[in-house]
Amino acid sequence: MEYDAEKREIKLDKELNNLDTFVIEFCSLLKDYVIVSGYVSILLGRSRATEDVDLLVPEMTKEAFEIFWKKAFDSGFECVNVLDSEEAFEMLQEHAIRFCKEGVAVPNMEFKMIKNDLDIYSFDNKIKVQLNGDSLFISPLEMQIAFKLFLAADGNEEEINSDKDIEDARHLYKLFLDKINKGELLKMLEKLNINERLKWL
Amino acid sequence: MKVEEIKINLEELKEFKRKNAEERLKFIDFWANFVKTHPDKVWSKQQNVVINSQIRK
Repeated sequence: MEYDAEKREIKLDKELNNLDTFVIEFCSLLKDYVIVSGYVSILLGRSRATEDVDLLVPEMTKEAFEIFWKKAFDSGFECVNVLDSEEAFEMLQEHAIRFCKEGVAVPNMEFKMIKNDLDIYSFDNKIKVQLNGDSLFISPLEMQIAFKLFLAADGNEEEINSDKDIEDARHLYKLFLDKINKGELLKMLEKLNINERLKWL
Repeated sequence: MKVEEIKINLEELKEFKRKNAEERLKFIDFWANFVKTHPDKVWSKQQNVVINSQIRK
């Protein structure tokens, strides 16, 4: 695995698994997106699976969404929430909608529109992961680590200790220790008000 | 044995929980180092046993 922090590119020469092929197939339907949350760690080697993959897309017009909807259905995907594109588009303004392969609920893509500055930052600074002729766009590692630490359950030390989100963050941090922008990471921890969680890395 | 007969040492269990969490984090470090120091094809083959057993095609 090679990470060029300046070019914002990771080159992966891995054996693809069923989750990877599902994600690649879905993301090939989109021009602009960024993958966030658990799958980022998994794509980069974390030894666990996930039921869903979180995806952020820029705001879409109804027409653009209808075009995407048709492409998704023609490619064998379906929306878990509703079967009507108009209803789905309205839902999308409020919360995520999920897409899966027809008749197979797991895994599924949690499809959300970019809403806040954290989302915008992730999208603007996304990293291109090149794998075996395909490519995927993931959130910047520093943001991913910080946000995973944020997601870890509030609680006392022993409760946080074995949290899946802490483990995801730690995996990325240890893997890219030499390449991570530690200044950026610290700034994000401060913004999220979780400086004390740095010790879990 | 019945449920009512079970004797629980909560301090002992808390210690087990702490040690378990510690051991999990040690494995995270071990595995991250393995991914870092081995070719992608090698670690991903092992990772895929976990993922493909849960996510079927």
